[in-house]
Amino acid sequence: MKAMTLVLTLLLAWGQARAETTGDGNALLNRPSDRTYDVILASGYLKVGVYRDFPPYSYEVDGEPRGIDVALGKRLAEGLGVEFRVHWITPDENLGDDLRNNVWKGHYLDRQRLADVMLRVPYDTEYAYLRDATGEYINEQVVLFGPYQQETWQIAYDPDQLAEVDSVAVFQYHPIGVEIDTLPDFYLSSGLGGRLRDQVRHYRNVRAAFAAMARGEVSGVMGMRAEIDHELNWPGHARFRAADTGFPGIVRQRWDVGLAIKHTHRQLGYALEGVIDHLVRSGALAALFAAEGLRYSVPQYYRAFLAPDALARAQGQR
Amino acid sequence: MRSSKFGIRVAAGTLALTVSCGALAVTDEDILNDARTTEDVVTYGMGLSGQRFSPLDHLTTDNVRYLQPVWAFSFGNEKMRGQEAQPLVKDGVMYVSASYSRVYAIDARTGEERWQYDARLPDGIMPCCDVVNRGVALYGDKVIFGTLDAKLVALNRDTGKPMWIKKVADYQAGYAITAAPMIVKGKVITGVSGGEFGIVGKVEAYDANTGEKLWTRPTVEGHMGYVYRDGKAIENGISGGQAGRTWPGDMWKNGGAATWLGGTYDADTDTLFFGTGNPAPWNSHLRPGDNLFSSSRLAIDPDDGSIKWHFQTTPHDGWDYDGVNELIAFDLNENGRTVKAAATADRNGFFYVLNRENGAFIRGFPFVDTITWAKGLDPDTGRPIYAEGGRPGDPSKSSGGKGETVLAQPAFLGGKNWMPMAYNPGTGLFYVPSNEWAMDIWNEPVSYKKGAAFLGAGFTIRPANDDYIGVLRAMDPTTGREVWRYENTAPLWGGVMTTAGNLVFTGTPEGYLKAFDARTGKELYRFNTGSGVVGSPITWEMDGEQYVSVLSGWGGAVPLWGGEVAKVVKHFNQGGMVWTFKLPRDRIASN
Repeated sequence: MKAMTLVLTLLLAWGQARAETTGDGNALLNRPSDRTYDVILASGYLKVGVYRDFPPYSYEVDGEPRGIDVALGKRLAEGLGVEFRVHWITPDENLGDDLRNNVWKGHYLDRQRLADVMLRVPYDTEYAYLRDATGEYINEQVVLFGPYQQETWQIAYDPDQLAEVDSVAVFQYHPIGVEIDTLPDFYLSSGLGGRLRDQVRHYRNVRAAFAAMARGEVSGVMGMRAEIDHELNWPGHARFRAADTGFPGIVRQRWDVGLAIKHTHRQLGYALEGVIDHLVRSGALAALFAAEGLRYSVPQYYRAFLAPDALARAQGQR
Repeated sequence: MRSSKFGIRVAAGTLALTVSCGALAVTDEDILNDARTTEDVVTYGMGLSGQRFSPLDHLTTDNVRYLQPVWAFSFGNEKMRGQEAQPLVKDGVMYVSASYSRVYAIDARTGEERWQYDARLPDGIMPCCDVVNRGVALYGDKVIFGTLDAKLVALNRDTGKPMWIKKVADYQAGYAITAAPMIVKGKVITGVSGGEFGIVGKVEAYDANTGEKLWTRPTVEGHMGYVYRDGKAIENGISGGQAGRTWPGDMWKNGGAATWLGGTYDADTDTLFFGTGNPAPWNSHLRPGDNLFSSSRLAIDPDDGSIKWHFQTTPHDGWDYDGVNELIAFDLNENGRTVKAAATADRNGFFYVLNRENGAFIRGFPFVDTITWAKGLDPDTGRPIYAEGGRPGDPSKSSGGKGETVLAQPAFLGGKNWMPMAYNPGTGLFYVPSNEWAMDIWNEPVSYKKGAAFLGAGFTIRPANDDYIGVLRAMDPTTGREVWRYENTAPLWGGVMTTAGNLVFTGTPEGYLKAFDARTGKELYRFNTGSGVVGSPITWEMDGEQYVSVLSGWGGAVPLWGGEVAKVVKHFNQGGMVWTFKLPRDRIASN
């Protein structure tokens, strides 16, 4: 009987270890091990934090991690000469929460679960040096570095319902789908003095909003450019078009996206910075995006100092 | 002397035998009479109406200072955090829940553990609202409680083994259960907790014996309610009649109004009272309208979930003033006439007295020192009269700057938060655990969410006074007068209990269980339990003696927020214990 219980316990423990990403913490103390650069190299793997169910950046197909950020994570691991391991991130209410839960402290329900590096972290010096009401730096526990892409907003529309879309103003009269609690949601619900508000339809994600457009429930969808491009690539969505609109009134029209590590792991950061810098400058990142049929923009960070031909190479134009 | 001692032993032996053969069933009658029966506590609220009043009077203002601990029990593990539960006691066994959806059965005489149940929580779970649990329900041979992954679990009272487990909502969509369920006429009644967006609150009833769902009632206008018969869902009317009356666009589909604190029941009018949370999204400028039934109290028919009436405390909420706080039925003496009334102390700083038969507003008054967001209440309807400039600004109107900072008092954590107040029919007073704090809110120009630019609000919460935040108040519901107050350095976050011995009990984050004179507010007793007290005390009678129990374990929402308040509470240590007290026999008055 006792042996049976033991076997069962082992089975359960094994099942749990498999379900979680990687159990490399101290089981007795329920703490994450401090995976510094040397520990990562010795362990032979890099845990890369990416958002769960977030196409085209990071998602799962048949149990296998896929997407732009997953492909980039594999290149980062390769650059360090170690194996890639995925660390799925369930998004919390804001970036600060995600950094706390996944990069420096761990979520209180699962303290051992930390990523070595997190991807798709907006690279914004104003954000990085934000102070709280008492003057403390809010993000002092992390280092934000390695910008690798510039992201922006995009609308797609159904030409069967709308002849053309050259201004968001048309959505005063036609329903438009957004992911709930995102900037497109707030922007369209309050824009033009609230005149679009009644036309805004809320969905769990951009994919669900496209499904609604395919059913004829909405005439357009607003999301991040890569999300929109990804949906437009799907054969079932071939008839939908990318609109050529501006977004007057949005303060951050485009922003750079990079990496984050815990502030005590700077040696790892320097190593990853070297890898990602090469990927951007060589045009390898542009090629990754092109392979997925997504438009790519070099981060603003590089635009400030790259010569025109170097910029063109990074942009994948030669 | 000797024979009496022998007699007690025999009695204890017989009882032990009974328990080992299976605990006596908890009946609907036990539950309905809980407020009057002193030998057990079988409901959250010490009675379904939630008055938290005990007719026991062995403990008095004269002898409470001799109260002594008889046992203490540790929940163990590293899973500390906030212990917000209220224990139940039946047949010499205490049933209590702890953080992280754990339940314990403890020998109420010795503090020895009988069994422990740890809900197995799924990986990657992200509960919205900390990992607290506020208590269990008892029915028949079962202990029933809600879990962080939004399930109801029924355990065998003797063994702690699961008898049924039912999913109430999808934890992946952001739902959880932290409140104690309630049993009314054989039905388990529960609400749901939820994150800030994408959810819709609801109240549901399940068969306590089988776990079968009986009815569901969404708390946002436009959603259909159902009753279930023979496995079939039968439509039972749309909440609020139809969609879109008080919400723009399709926002009613994700309107929030989570029922996260559970409810109370009034047998007199056969009505459930449930409060609802704030509306979503948080930016009120996106959703002009009253946004029913957010930040409201709902009167619900326990048989089919129909809404009898509603009272909205904060229409078009823009401050995160949840309307979940308990509505307590009591008989109000109004000019010599007895009125069937009910009272609640809202997050928004106002205390409301309603007619519990129809929801009519009788009176309302502030129970905190300062309210900035409203100038007062309409004397006829109880609707707030908004103060100009008191509403946080629209972030989409900010052109990249921080914008104007709006001061709001009370802060979003409320004049009173989840911690239940108590009503003493002897003194006619409500004992309200409240806090004096304010918040600054501004539009946050630099904000990101899930890899994308976002429009957020920045806020900081700060004490309204230099030397105290918490205030335990005795409020007179007939006049709105504060009869006495006790000021506490740290914010009060624990429930209150009052007794016929003219005592008021509550705990403090500093670790004390305290007792006060119910008439004067004089502090008569304090005992430090080693960690902050944020649970709700109970009292009961066992072997002819009056016992008091309370949980100790600092946590809950307060330490999750930074700012100036954090300075007051950051050195408090976590814990996880049950403390049980009684008077030494020779200290009991011999009258």
